[in-house]
Amino acid sequence: MTVYTLDEVIKNKINGLYYGNRILLPFKAQLLKVIIESDIITDFSRSSKGIQLVEHQEYLDLYFLEYKGLSESISKYEAIKIVLVDEGKNIFDWNNHRKIALYLAEKHKVTIEETDADILFIE
Amino acid sequence: MVKKVFFIVLMFFVSRNLFAAESKPLVDSLITSGGHTSQLPHPIIVLPFLVLLLLIATGPIFYKHFWERNYHKLSILLGLVTVSYYFGFLNDFKSVEHSITEYISFIALLTSLFIASGSILIKVNFKAAPVSNVLFLLFGAVISNLIGTTGASMLLIRPFIKMNRERMKPYLIIFFIFIISNIGGALTPIGDPPLFLGFLRGVPFFWVIENVFPIWLIGILCALLFFFLFDISNKKTADTVTEKGKHLVELKGSKNLIYFVVIIIAVFIDPKVMSWVPSLSPLPFGIREILMFSVAIASFKTADLEILKANEFDFEPIKEVAYLFVGIFLTMIPALQLIAFESRVYSHYLTQATFYWSTGALSSVLDNAPTYLNFLSAAMGKFGLDINLAADVKHFVVVDDVYLRAISVGAVFFGAMTYIGNGPNFMVKSISERAGIEMPSFFTYIVKYSLPILLPIFALIWFLFFRG
Repeated sequence: MTVYTLDEVIKNKINGLYYGNRILLPFKAQLLKVIIESDIITDFSRSSKGIQLVEHQEYLDLYFLEYKGLSESISKYEAIKIVLVDEGKNIFDWNNHRKIALYLAEKHKVTIEETDADILFIE
Repeated sequence: MVKKVFFIVLMFFVSRNLFAAESKPLVDSLITSGGHTSQLPHPIIVLPFLVLLLLIATGPIFYKHFWERNYHKLSILLGLVTVSYYFGFLNDFKSVEHSITEYISFIALLTSLFIASGSILIKVNFKAAPVSNVLFLLFGAVISNLIGTTGASMLLIRPFIKMNRERMKPYLIIFFIFIISNIGGALTPIGDPPLFLGFLRGVPFFWVIENVFPIWLIGILCALLFFFLFDISNKKTADTVTEKGKHLVELKGSKNLIYFVVIIIAVFIDPKVMSWVPSLSPLPFGIREILMFSVAIASFKTADLEILKANEFDFEPIKEVAYLFVGIFLTMIPALQLIAFESRVYSHYLTQATFYWSTGALSSVLDNAPTYLNFLSAAMGKFGLDINLAADVKHFVVVDDVYLRAISVGAVFFGAMTYIGNGPNFMVKSISERAGIEMPSFFTYIVKYSLPILLPIFALIWFLFFRG
């Protein structure tokens, strides 16, 4: 299985997947902030009640613990927004902080886009 | 869930005798409200309303996810307790019907403005700074008199967040709520629902701007001054790069502005305003509400998908308002009736200052539209006038206008005191949180912002205009 960087995922429009409250992202990264509906999640520790992070060798698993099914809560126009840093890059360098938006699409696909100026997203 | 509701309603009817015995001292008391006479409720039935307020205040802080999953059920359940009491104990269907009618009007306006504004994208191409922010808020305050505080809030909150995104702090959103979602809309009957209800009862359209303008100006200028002091101490500068050759403001989806116009016109399509408009009574809605819901559907169906995506359009904020306010509208019926009764009993002791402060205090946590009507009714009762007679209202407006000024200002301005004081407050909060802004809790909003900022402004207004 190929390990992608976030740049490759965005450039080649590689989709993630979602099932129930789980999102599979086809790249590895360090998360700093996740916004889902009006929940702002910054606690990614094991005791976090909002999100559980499972890092695999090639991809990243996110479990939104307070949601039964994401598609029931998130409309197709609404984004799950994430501030992250590509794996291996300096997390303390502000320029490496990237903002992405995830949209739930048909057939369990998650489209991944870098947010543009139109999207309201405060880090 | 259905079983639980049934059980509670059943328990209510089983204990009917108990409640009847307790309410005996008040059963002879009758109250005229909303044009009909009904029996005064027992004070204990205000409890569901207080419980709902407490839940709204504490839910998002102490049991957030339980609240998010269950707020709609709790709101409806508490509303049903009140409805059961009115149907089962008082045999009063009119009060509930009246409240439902007002709720449908309220939610029709909010829904249509929310959806129509979601299909419009305003892009701003200038740097946020204290002066430009002050001008933006002033513009919003003025515009809220033309498209309502709800319309202005929905249309302007996104560009306001975008232009401040590099220097975002919660106070920016709080002042937006203070100025655009509330105080700004005090100049016309379109601005805020209580003024519209006054207009329907016979207050001339331009009476508000002619009589409230100096108070509005002082209120707005004071709020802007406070904002400027906060904003100037925000050391983060907007490093948003302005693009040369681009307009300062860019509007996408401008065709949807026509929907706004239709909604504003629809506000006046009421048999009380235009005699040719047919009444759909006994249905709890009229042509106006049908038009507004039709505009909402048409606006959504014809919306540009890219704009919806850029606005991250979601029905959740309006769903939240719809569910919470159905509970608020139903559970507040006894609270409003008791207030109206008491204020009429003691009307001789009520001064312009008491009307200003009591209308204001109650508008902070109750819906300000019925609060306005009940206090207007009490003020008119003081002079032996009837709120249900347009001629009496017109007489009252001319002779005792200071009371109407106090009630109008109290109802509109004090809506800013809490998140639940006015419909748009909650929607602005919700949109901001979805943008990643950590908004203050219900209590923090009051303690950190409303009390230290708004209360001195409102006290100044009392001192200058309603001290008598």
